[in-house]
Amino acid sequence: MATERPRVDRSVSPPPREIRPFQFPPFLRTRLPNGLAVIAARLPNLPLVSLELIAPAGAQYDPAERPGIATLTSSVLDEGTALRSSLEVAALAERLGGYFTTGADWDVGYLTTGLLSSHRREGLELLAEVLTAPTFPVEEIDRLRRQRISEILRRRQDPSALADERFQREVFRGTAYAESIQGTEESLSRLDRDALLDFYRSHYGFAGSTLIAVGDFDPEELLRETEAVFGAASSPGSVTARPEIHPTPPRGVSVHLVDRPGAAQTELRLGHVGVPRSDPDYVPLLVLNTLLGGKFTSRINLNLRERHGYTYGASSRFSTRQGPGPFTVTAAVETSAAAASTREVLHELRRVREALVEPEELEETVGYIVGVFPYSLQTVGDVGRRLEILAVFDLPDDYYTHYLRKIAAVTREEILEAARRHLDPERIVVVAVGPAEILEPQFEGVGPVTVWSPEGEPRAAQPLRST
Amino acid sequence: MSSHATNLNLDLQRHTLDNGLQVVLHRDASLPLVAVNLWYHVGSKNERPGRTGFAHLFEHMLFQGSANVGTNEHFRYIQQVGGVANGSTWYDRTNYYETVPAHHLDLALWLESDRMGFFLPALTQENLDTQRGVVMNERRQRVENQPYGGAGERINDLLYPPSHPYHWPVIGYMEDIAAATLEDARAFFSSYYTPNNAVLSVVGDIQPEDALERIEAWFGEIPPGPPLAPVVPVSTPLGGERRGMIPDDVSLPRVYIAFRAPAYGQRDWYTADLLAAVLAGGKSSPLYRDLVYGRQIAQDVGASIGPQECGGTFMLVATARPGVSAAALEEALLGHLAAAAAAPPDPADLERARNRMLTDYYSSLQRLDTLADLFSQFATYFDDPAAGLAEADRYLDVAPRELMEYAASWCTEPERVVVSVVPRKAS
Repeated sequence: MATERPRVDRSVSPPPREIRPFQFPPFLRTRLPNGLAVIAARLPNLPLVSLELIAPAGAQYDPAERPGIATLTSSVLDEGTALRSSLEVAALAERLGGYFTTGADWDVGYLTTGLLSSHRREGLELLAEVLTAPTFPVEEIDRLRRQRISEILRRRQDPSALADERFQREVFRGTAYAESIQGTEESLSRLDRDALLDFYRSHYGFAGSTLIAVGDFDPEELLRETEAVFGAASSPGSVTARPEIHPTPPRGVSVHLVDRPGAAQTELRLGHVGVPRSDPDYVPLLVLNTLLGGKFTSRINLNLRERHGYTYGASSRFSTRQGPGPFTVTAAVETSAAAASTREVLHELRRVREALVEPEELEETVGYIVGVFPYSLQTVGDVGRRLEILAVFDLPDDYYTHYLRKIAAVTREEILEAARRHLDPERIVVVAVGPAEILEPQFEGVGPVTVWSPEGEPRAAQPLRST
Repeated sequence: MSSHATNLNLDLQRHTLDNGLQVVLHRDASLPLVAVNLWYHVGSKNERPGRTGFAHLFEHMLFQGSANVGTNEHFRYIQQVGGVANGSTWYDRTNYYETVPAHHLDLALWLESDRMGFFLPALTQENLDTQRGVVMNERRQRVENQPYGGAGERINDLLYPPSHPYHWPVIGYMEDIAAATLEDARAFFSSYYTPNNAVLSVVGDIQPEDALERIEAWFGEIPPGPPLAPVVPVSTPLGGERRGMIPDDVSLPRVYIAFRAPAYGQRDWYTADLLAAVLAGGKSSPLYRDLVYGRQIAQDVGASIGPQECGGTFMLVATARPGVSAAALEEALLGHLAAAAAAPPDPADLERARNRMLTDYYSSLQRLDTLADLFSQFATYFDDPAAGLAEADRYLDVAPRELMEYAASWCTEPERVVVSVVPRKAS
């Protein structure tokens, strides 16, 4: 080793060197004659390919009397096709060195496979087969339904799941977003083969769907293969109009306790209805939320974790959906500090609406979002997810060309305005999952308290004590 | 499937500084990023009974600042330039890492070298108290308030004798975390967080000669610590099945069947990992086909082995469907183990497992931080960072009959631990 060591100054952080610019990977975006949209990007580092098909078949389309139909339909898709049984589909995907999963979120239904790039063509064929020729076998539907009902039972002991469920029920009362995306015991028992077929036929048409392919291939060649594979198949059905979701905001602060006697900790959720992804304030809100609760050094985490030691971590987010997703603050806190944590969060929400953020705080936050962008694009899956966003939210091809510049242009004033428009600490839902006996007295003065059982039943009003 | 698909020829450079710090460098300029990854060869196995959880508590303390870095400033410095930083603690090691835009390499090196060389002046009672609170909440979140959260601890408690360092959990026992003192912390730091007990991997958009010069500048002046003797735990065979039952706030019983296993890196470790993938990896695996799909007595199934330096733990797990008892599930799992010990696996199951592992392996190598971590791991455990790149080949080498022999010799009744988590009300 060299004996003469270059000298360093440890007293200040070292200056950066020359920045190397970053460009979002080029991609091809087109539509086949049969209506199927295709987005393809080349990422040549490793012999891998990620293929995903998305269709306008998310849980926002669940009819009021059939919660769970979107996710159940999606999970039955790969449980049998005109050519293969459920196990044969799984065995083929796994033999190709990959996985094959289907599912649905609020916006879309998806079929995803990741495999070795040498098996790309077979992957496309399997996707097309599952999308266009599922058979919805009755015995598979029954099996998945039973499995899902067991899962619902299991979630009743999962404090985090209980908190999420109660929170969405209170925030989105009366809309599709209020219902569990997995359905309920009662709704699942009513979802038979005809209902699923019906949902499939009205939501999985080529016309509304997009194939997103990322990996070690030539995009033009992939496009030709896609045309060959999907051009030969016939579209399963039509496209259904997007539903409107308009929740009524609650009045004041309401507190909902889900009772888990003896629990070692309390799961907290605080928040209200947020905005659709298409809201013009999306960019300032992204910066605002990152500063408030979207990174380790955010106001909420530093307050609850580092200043008070109440929690292992606290965060906030605006969930991006086609409809108005929730704004949620999440933390698992020491039970004795549940109401104190709530007050601290409300304090942070009020503070960010009252005064401009510090210039350094904004600079650090923008630096984080801009700098971390290439880090979030390392894998075929990473790039696929970014391309999926273009398709799901109808964003233009050059969206990522201007994305970082837009983030960097956000001002303190815009953040204050966005906070005033979209955060409302005076009309908020608070959910705490833990021992109600200890929690209830703590929350006196925060807002009216309702106590729920883990099964979702409101606890009967306590009798008034006489004498 | 080609068996030559796994040769990744990545150009690695190795150096050792005068103070003993091992350095691994690799240039990959596909993105303007650099991953800085530091492994200290200290984990929960270097703790002693009554003072468990120390290595993990330390992971938290090392983000609380050092002589030139204020409390909580580490994350601030990294995040404001768009970097990502974290650490993790395991039985055998602790890692600290950041991935930053490549032009901020010096920033990451400054932060890591400041806490390696100049941490003690910043170690205060106040910081220790706050982080003890954070860690106790982490433990509540991961263990006490988590359905089935107590099973992992009970398994190790039964599988390893009290003197064996895998007996206690990495996160430590609550009362030990509460009892940690400033004195303990100082002594622990001075013994283990030294350049001669560490590997630094730097991977990404770098020029290796330049990076080495910067590393020498930041780390070269840190004096070496005392030489450290390896921990060599002793355990005699269990000599009889051990059983545990945990009544918990759950509605579905879950069964864990565990055995001691070879140390990470040994040929048989890869055999065990492959056996786990054959048995329960994916929807078309035999355990899934039979228990979840066929008989429908399980909600989910799994099999795994952990990468432990002094001997791993091979484990099967299954969660019952409503109305199915823990005993029925245990019997079914044992049936599959007996079958695995009686005959080599179906060739289709073996091919499927191998292909999946290959895809998983490549997938993990897409990330610079994973690549850097792999180099640090192989340098720390085997003094050979490049060996990590040939790891996929180790699975291709395993012959079908070895899987059978493994199950027959390692997964035997007298060496078995069975832990079931059952609904509290029914117990």
